[in-house]
Formats: sequence, C-alpha cells, structure tokens
Amino acid sequence: MGLNHETAPVEVREHFAVAQEGLGPMARELTELTTIAEGVVISTCNRMEVYVAVEDRQMGLDVLTQHLSQGHDTDKMSHLYQKCGDEAKKHLFALVCGLDSMVLGETEIFGQVKNAYKQALEAGATKGVLNRLFQKSFSVGKRIRTNTRIQMGATSVGNVAVDLAEKIFGKLKGCHVMIIGAGETSRLVAQSMISRGASQLTVTNRSMERAKALADELNGEVVPFDSWEDALVQADVVVSSTGAPEPVLRAAQIESVRRMRKFRPLFLIDIAVPRDIEAQAGEIEEVYLYDIDKLQQLASSARDSRAKQVELCEQMIAEEIKQIP
Amino acid sequence: MLILATILAAVAAVQGARHVRHGSRSQWTVVWMLLCFLAQMTILSLRGEMRASCPLSDTGEVLIFAAWSLTMFYMVVGSVYRLSLLGVFTAPLVCFLLSIALMPGLLDASPERKTVVDGWRESHAAFSVLAYGALGLAAVAGSMFIVLNRQLKEAHMETGLFANLPPARDLNKVVERLLWLGFLLLTLGLICGLVMQKSGATNKHLYVALGQWFAYAIILGFKRKRGMPPRKLAITAVVLFVLSLMIFPLIN
Repeated sequence: MGLNHETAPVEVREHFAVAQEGLGPMARELTELTTIAEGVVISTCNRMEVYVAVEDRQMGLDVLTQHLSQGHDTDKMSHLYQKCGDEAKKHLFALVCGLDSMVLGETEIFGQVKNAYKQALEAGATKGVLNRLFQKSFSVGKRIRTNTRIQMGATSVGNVAVDLAEKIFGKLKGCHVMIIGAGETSRLVAQSMISRGASQLTVTNRSMERAKALADELNGEVVPFDSWEDALVQADVVVSSTGAPEPVLRAAQIESVRRMRKFRPLFLIDIAVPRDIEAQAGEIEEVYLYDIDKLQQLASSARDSRAKQVELCEQMIAEEIKQIP
Repeated sequence: MLILATILAAVAAVQGARHVRHGSRSQWTVVWMLLCFLAQMTILSLRGEMRASCPLSDTGEVLIFAAWSLTMFYMVVGSVYRLSLLGVFTAPLVCFLLSIALMPGLLDASPERKTVVDGWRESHAAFSVLAYGALGLAAVAGSMFIVLNRQLKEAHMETGLFANLPPARDLNKVVERLLWLGFLLLTLGLICGLVMQKSGATNKHLYVALGQWFAYAIILGFKRKRGMPPRKLAITAVVLFVLSLMIFPLIN
C-alpha cells in the first residue's frame, strides 16, 4: 500500500513521509499488528510505500488501512493505492528498476529500496517471504539495468552538459569552468559540474553584484565583464547565458588564444537565446559547441529511448514473476 | 598455433564489435586477447628455438612479432588507462597481421638455424618491431579519437560506441605517450641498425627508417613546443603508421 508522485501532490506526500532513521522502527511496528507477519517501509521524496506479508489478505488490508489512517483524513487516504500478490511483486520489481520513477530509469531508487529493506531486516521486521521477494527484486533490477538501456543517456539539459564534459575531459577534477552571465540555468549547470569534481570556477557578468553573488555561492572568482577574454586561456568549459542580442563569444576570440591554450579541448555550452556564441566557433578543431537546442534534443532523445525500453523491461519482469514459486 | 592465434583475434574483434553495437562492454575481449598473446608467444618461442636467434628472419615472423608487440602494448596500456575498448579496435589489426602471416610462402616452413648471430642486427629488428607495436597502438588509439571527436562534434550520443569510448582527453594522452614510447624504441632500433654490419639493401632500408624517425621526431617536437590540436595528432599517428606499413614491405 502506498502513494507516489503520480497519485498524490507533495502536500499530501509530506504527511505520509517517514524519516530515514524511522524506516526500521516503523516496519517493526507494523509486524506488531494483527495478521501482519512481515513489513518493509520505503519513503523517498516521491513516494511512501508499505510492503507487508499477511496471514489473511482482507484482514491485513483492513488493519493496515486503519493503521495508516491514524492522523490522516479520508481525503488524504484517498490518494493511497493498494496492490496484492503478483501485482504487488510486479510493482516492486518495476520500482527497483526505476520504471515507476519521475525520471524514468533513474538509479537512485535502487539504493533507496535497498536501504529501506536493510533497515527492516535489522529491525527484525522481515522473514522468509519479504526476504525472498526483496532479494529477488534486487537481482531483477541488476539484470534489467545490465541487459536493457533503461538508464542510458542523460534526461535533463544540465546532466547532458555534464555527461558531455566527462566524455571530453574524463574526470572533471581540476577542470576550470567559466560562466558568462549569471543566470539560473548557468548556475545549475555550474553546480552540476562542481558536484562532479570541477574545482575552479570563474564568473563574469555585466552586473558585478550578481557575478559576485554567484561566485560566492559556488566558491568561485569574479572577473570583470570587460576583461573576461583573458580568462578564456585557462578555461576548459564555458557556460554562457547572457541576454545580449549579439554574440558575446566569437570564433576570432578563440582563434586568438588557441596557441596560448596549447590547443587544449574547449567545451562551450551556449544556453542563451539569442545565442551568445558564434556558430563558427564550433568549427575550430578542439572546440565542442553545444547550444540549447542541441542539449534539449539530446535530453529528449534519451527520454524517448528510455520510454522505448519500458516494454522490454516489463516483459523481463513478467518472466521473472512467472519463475517465482 | 598461428591459426589458433588468428581465430582468437577474430573472435575478440567480432564479439567486441557486437557488444559495442549493443552498447555494452565485453569482458571477454581481454581474455581472448590474452589467449591470443599466449599463442603468439608460443609461436615466437618455437621459431626462436628453430632459428637459435630472434625470430625475425622472414616476413611471416616479422608480422607475428608485430602482432605480438601490438597485443602486448594493448594489454599494458588497456589496463593502465582502463581502455577496454582499445581491445575491440586492436583485435582486427592483430587479426589482419596474423592472417597475412598465414599466407603461403611468408612463413618459412623449415627455418634455417643460424650459426653466427649478429647481436646488433637482432636488437635492431627486435626494437624496430616493438616500436611498430607501440606506434601501431598509437594509430589505433588515434582512430578511436577520430571516431569520438566526430561523434562529439555532430552530437551523436545515442550510439553504443559513443557510450563505450573513453574520454577524448584520455585518448589524446594515450596517443601522445604511445608515440613517445614508439619513438624511443625506434631510436634504439635505429642506433643498433647504424652499428650493425651493412649490405646495400640494408642501407636503403635504414634511409627509410631514418626518414620515418625524422617524421615522428618533427611531430613530437612540434607537439611539445607549441602544442597541436588533438585531432591533428590523431590523424598524424594514423597516417604515419599506415605509410610506414606501406613503405617497408616495398623496400624489403
């Protein structure tokens, strides 16, 4: 029984949310109810689900509903779904594979379910039935992730940019990121780069105040807008998102620093409309230029590609369920 | 044994390519290549026993030695830089070299046992073929870079090959380091060649080797002093290696 981002808005989900350290004790608490022999509680930002093994299905359902309704009105309870037998197994397997996630195929859920099960196990809330079921779900999750492309490709502009940066530079540790224009999308992309190891950051913006605020937030340096070209020599990645009507970075500017850069690769991310970086810059050999259209197109095709894998994943899950005695 | 080594290289190439097509990594490529390496070692040691010298006296032996050297550098570089895909690109070249060695007449069926061994000549041949292995692998890594660079430029991220190719900067480093290693071995081979007893044909061969040495020296010097776009370096590594492969059989 549970609710997720599709059945309940955040203001309902937050009422049912369980703190991570409370997952084990709550699972233990469930097993103390009549007819419930085993229990596992999963709680993430997008869902709260309770898995139980019961001696009597109808009685278990009534007891569980009554337990969960404590402190919640009928309206909130109407967001809960319930699944039994093979349907519940199928749901758990799909959940572990990321098929039920907001971002299709995301991998974080695998760890979250594993953690919830571990806590329930340590609290003594699981025995034969749920132990077998959850162990099986993890092996199904691994099989599906290995044999399908459900997790392939980045599905957001920020992640596409970071994945591309890693394809060009490998580990981003030591990479120098330069931000031109202190917009929100630049901030998000820069944050993603920093989270993957980029250690040096330079911010430049027409308004020095905004540049300084962003640099302070991301622990970077500020360069005045009229002298940012000098910083281009050090940069590995340039993220540009100004509101300028004309290109801010031209091919000739890059040509002039190529030798000083010793022809190191340069990754240009142009997320501005109208574009900030002259298209000819992408024709320079060691320059990789991606504008917002290209990035969005890549994110969208990754989402489509993942969606196409769903049928295959569901077939594999159905096969696995058939094999369960 | 040579047939076995060729089959193993072919299996590594085909199986690796199929995995790449499906966007996954074949953990078996390295196993097939290791077995192929052992088979090549066995052939070379048997030939060495027969000749009582370094087995580099006929074209077949040179090809097997070059394939062995290429496989050996792949095993070293592939594990150090975690470039498992390098095997998928190396295996076809190894298979190609071994297949040519299988052609009738290239491998002497009853090799002549040498009574007098010229140490300089043996060292010249060994260092030169080892250099070919390193320079050949630089060309393989260079080809990988060219493919990746094109996919990055054209934003073709959906292919299984793209997902499995190592980062561009790592590939570029591998190309440069292998070029340096190959150049160093080529230098040693050339020194030994200059010292060894010379015939007219050997002189012609050495002039070409000197030309090749200068070509690599210029490229590496240029790269070190003023830098070079990674794509140019990769193309140069491929072109110089292909030219070397074409020129030496003509001279010999």
